Amino acid sequence: MLEAFEAAAPSSGLDPYVPLVALFVLAAAFAVFSVAAAPLVGPRRYNKAKLDAYECGIEPSPQPIVGGGRMPVAYYLTAMLFILFDIEMVFLYPFAVTSDQLGFFGVVEIVLFIATVGFAYAYVWRRGGLDWN
Amino acid sequence: MQEQFLAQAQQQVNAPDIAYGAIAPVLIVLGFACLSVLVEAFVAKERRWGLQIGVAAAAIVLAGASLAAFISSNDAAGGPTGKTGVTTLAGAVSVDKPALFLWGTLLALGVLALLLIADRTVGGDMQTEVFPLFLFALGGMMVFCAANNLLTMFIALEVLSLPLYLMCGLARKRRLISQEAAVKYFLLGAFASAFFLYGLALLYGYAGSVKLADIATAAVGTDRSDTLLFGGLGLLVVGLLFKGSVGPFHTWTPDVYQGAPTSVTAFMAACTKVAAFGGILRVLTVAFQSTQWEWRGVLWGVAIASMAIGAIFGLTQTDVKRMIAYSSVAHAGFLLVGAIAMNTDGLSSTLFYLLAYGFTTIASFGVISLVRSGSGEATDLSQWAGLAKRSPLLAGVFTFLLLALAGIPLTSGFIGKFVVFSAALRDGMAPLVVIALVFSAVAAFFYLRVVVLMYFSEPAEDGPTVSVPGAFTTVAITLGTFVTLLLGVLPGFVLNWASSGGFLS
Amino acid sequence: MIAHASAPRPDTAQLLAGDPFWLIVVKTLGIFVLLVVMTLFMIWFERRVVARMQHRPGPNRVGPAGLLQSLADGLKLAFKEDIRPVLADKWVFFLAPVISCVPAFLAFAVMPLGGEVDLFGVHTALQLADLPVGVLVVLACSSVGVYGIVLSGWSSGSPYPLLGALRSAAQVISYEIAMGLSIVAVILSAHSLSTAEIVNAQQDFWYGIVLIPSFLIYLVSMVGETNRAPFDLAEAESELVGGFHTEYSSLKFALFFLAEYINMVTVSAFATTLFLGGWHAPFFLSEVGGGVLNSGWFGPLWFIAKMMVLLFAFVWLRGTLPRMRYDQFMKLGWKVLVPVSLVWIVLVVCVRALQAGGQTTLNVSIIVGIVVLAILVLVMIIPDRKPASDPNRVMVTGSGYPLPPLDLKVPKAPKRQRRSPVAQAAEPEPTALTPSGVAASTSKEASDGGV
Repeated sequence: MLEAFEAAAPSSGLDPYVPLVALFVLAAAFAVFSVAAAPLVGPRRYNKAKLDAYECGIEPSPQPIVGGGRMPVAYYLTAMLFILFDIEMVFLYPFAVTSDQLGFFGVVEIVLFIATVGFAYAYVWRRGGLDWN
Repeated sequence: MQEQFLAQAQQQVNAPDIAYGAIAPVLIVLGFACLSVLVEAFVAKERRWGLQIGVAAAAIVLAGASLAAFISSNDAAGGPTGKTGVTTLAGAVSVDKPALFLWGTLLALGVLALLLIADRTVGGDMQTEVFPLFLFALGGMMVFCAANNLLTMFIALEVLSLPLYLMCGLARKRRLISQEAAVKYFLLGAFASAFFLYGLALLYGYAGSVKLADIATAAVGTDRSDTLLFGGLGLLVVGLLFKGSVGPFHTWTPDVYQGAPTSVTAFMAACTKVAAFGGILRVLTVAFQSTQWEWRGVLWGVAIASMAIGAIFGLTQTDVKRMIAYSSVAHAGFLLVGAIAMNTDGLSSTLFYLLAYGFTTIASFGVISLVRSGSGEATDLSQWAGLAKRSPLLAGVFTFLLLALAGIPLTSGFIGKFVVFSAALRDGMAPLVVIALVFSAVAAFFYLRVVVLMYFSEPAEDGPTVSVPGAFTTVAITLGTFVTLLLGVLPGFVLNWASSGGFLS
Repeated sequence: MIAHASAPRPDTAQLLAGDPFWLIVVKTLGIFVLLVVMTLFMIWFERRVVARMQHRPGPNRVGPAGLLQSLADGLKLAFKEDIRPVLADKWVFFLAPVISCVPAFLAFAVMPLGGEVDLFGVHTALQLADLPVGVLVVLACSSVGVYGIVLSGWSSGSPYPLLGALRSAAQVISYEIAMGLSIVAVILSAHSLSTAEIVNAQQDFWYGIVLIPSFLIYLVSMVGETNRAPFDLAEAESELVGGFHTEYSSLKFALFFLAEYINMVTVSAFATTLFLGGWHAPFFLSEVGGGVLNSGWFGPLWFIAKMMVLLFAFVWLRGTLPRMRYDQFMKLGWKVLVPVSLVWIVLVVCVRALQAGGQTTLNVSIIVGIVVLAILVLVMIIPDRKPASDPNRVMVTGSGYPLPPLDLKVPKAPKRQRRSPVAQAAEPEPTALTPSGVAASTSKEASDGGV
């Protein structure tokens, strides 16, 4: 059956990422079209209040958000932790794929690696880096 | 493409051989650094400081012991002269004679720096996080000196840099300037890392490998475009020179030296320079020796620029820490003279210079941390006027150290300059040596200016007091001064060790 | 042509490599239409089911049983006014819905909807692309989608969207960690990042059963990842109006809505692929008729059925659970899901090593595993310590902005005349952080003490 399949379906020579690109083009075209069409299709009735920032009817707070606005630092901390753990993940995946070939050596290495990240994690936890109040 | 992926998946991955004995010092330092993080996490705040000092000291002592054990077994293994070393971890790390020397230097300087950091009686009172950061930085420096491929080198560069950025901002007393220093160092350091990384990418594009030896092989007898090679070399070296605070890439040095807590500055000034020049020596010697005639002219220029900037700007400084910072820029120029003398003498003399300079610098910063006024360290030169009349011992020690930095005979600085310049002469770089001598003389002037100020000026009325040093600082300054003197009188042993072997790739 | 479940299976990637370009286009269109229809259906489905749970009829006017309600809503949105607030950043405001929407579609490209079929006379697999990094594609798409959220909030020039976007981004990235870690055990078992091979590896047993901790963590994190109730803090109506899309209207708003529902469908499909055997028939049915239920066009049927069960769970959660508080939510993510995942991964690694290795290997890995477990469990058991009341502590959270230390002294503007440092330390300075004060702090002459 395998031979039959190989004979029946010669490779069309397309890169395996071509379908991904095709879907990307279609989705992007759809999204851009929707965004671009919205002002054309919809009505346009000018009203100054409508163009203000929405703050439940009160006068919008005057500070600029775009560009000059500051963000709470706690989110920055979360972002840093995310990068830390994301990189851990990125290292775990290739290990997981090749774990059998790496054998015992791989096990020791990855356990040490997880432990090392675990130390930093314990530190952050104990120092309140994961707390929100 | 698909087939390539599948083929890769089938490859057998072999565990690399690890010479645990050879890399034990690094493993110990980094392992204790992890332990130190755990101490930080789980031990109550009151008991942390003492425990952390213990952990860090144990790390350095054990690492030193394992280093000594490896050196003796390595020497025993290869007959009277000893084996040249071991390449381990799939060729990523090369523990050869220069690496062993640099490790020894780093650990010794690390002890001194740790003593300064650990002394809370004078300036200290940093967060206890400084100890794990210190150990991580030290571990990174050790790997950096021994890294045999550019990728390992880059990782080590980050491991040593990131803790240093943080350590610069740890001062409790002069918080704003300290944080300013940390941010400046971080931003400029990030640029330098990026330069290094771009250089790495270009060299990989040229040689198809990140191993130093493969780059050397690729550069010999090839018709590949030299643009990639020299572009890559240029960017790579810019990143390295930045870390060594050489020449026109020094702009962070004065601000960071001034802003960082003095004990951290001492660590940074001595150990980072050792690591950076260890890396420069290895990269230039192992990977680029065959093309040296193409790039040496540029590094001549850089060395001259570094010496000129250090000597001339140093003259105008009014702050002691900034003055030492510019002096370190000038010294980086001298070191570069040794580093581009591509012969065995150049290597051994640079190694010796690094060791000598490190001890002198740490001791100087130890002295600086003692001269204090009501609100902190009195680093402004005007406050140092007439210091000799109040505390002659301190002024005497500082004078000796400054003379060593200037390179006056009977100090390690003289021997260091002597061996570096004679190596350069032997390599036919007489004009560069003459220029270096001129700038040594110029630099000597600003050291002497401080000496004159201390001895022949009237003390200011509300001048600074000299605090009684704690035991740790006393030991650090005494050791640093003693080694400076010892290497000035009896340099033979260290010179022999430094010239015992070359790089192994 | 029937591919028997136990027959040697030609590699899906090779099979797909044989697709002619027109077939790729057909499949692409198919996935696009499937996702859009699923979105329309899910909106209706959600409203009907929630209504049922609340003893009311739900939408039942437009079309049979109200099925066309969401289509009507979508069309109505298209004819609403498109508002761009004056403070908004024009291009980013325009781009954010696109960035949010495109990756949502893209992630579905690697989902194996079914096994081998004959499609318009070409023998192929019911999957658009089988990449050797398929799992990473899905994770990457969900990461890129976060940009859409953050940028929409940032570019709106309005406080509510900004806060909503920050919350949402922090939430998605926090739960992405748990999600990514829960997948590691699956990859360890399947030895591949290709989605098709992961499905093939589940022929005999589903990973959702053998790796049940991973599955549970994935289930929790997929709800957090998609900003759905009870984790829908980013659009908490009572606190943040509409969250990051408060300022959006018309089709731009529709795109965010679309992205949210497609993401729900995608994570459910991904869960089906990773843990529920993908398009394979449930166990008791796979032997019926020599595996006929496992072949051809039965595949997508099972796949969609399993996906619908998970999607129903989404709706069910929304109908029954109240919204969590933000700190509880982050605590669940960072202090429960992440450490449990890590411990579980170490366990799986050790068990696999035990199975493979000899006796010495066994002992050593048991010891190593126990050490790590002990450390991690220790971390989890030791109760949170209250932060010590350090007088120098800089508040990070609370008001949300870092506060300067209370004793912050800002040096005056640069001056030639130097005061005694002692006097400077003793004299309380006003703490106003004027621009000139900031400039002075960078001046070396002014900073020789007491800064």
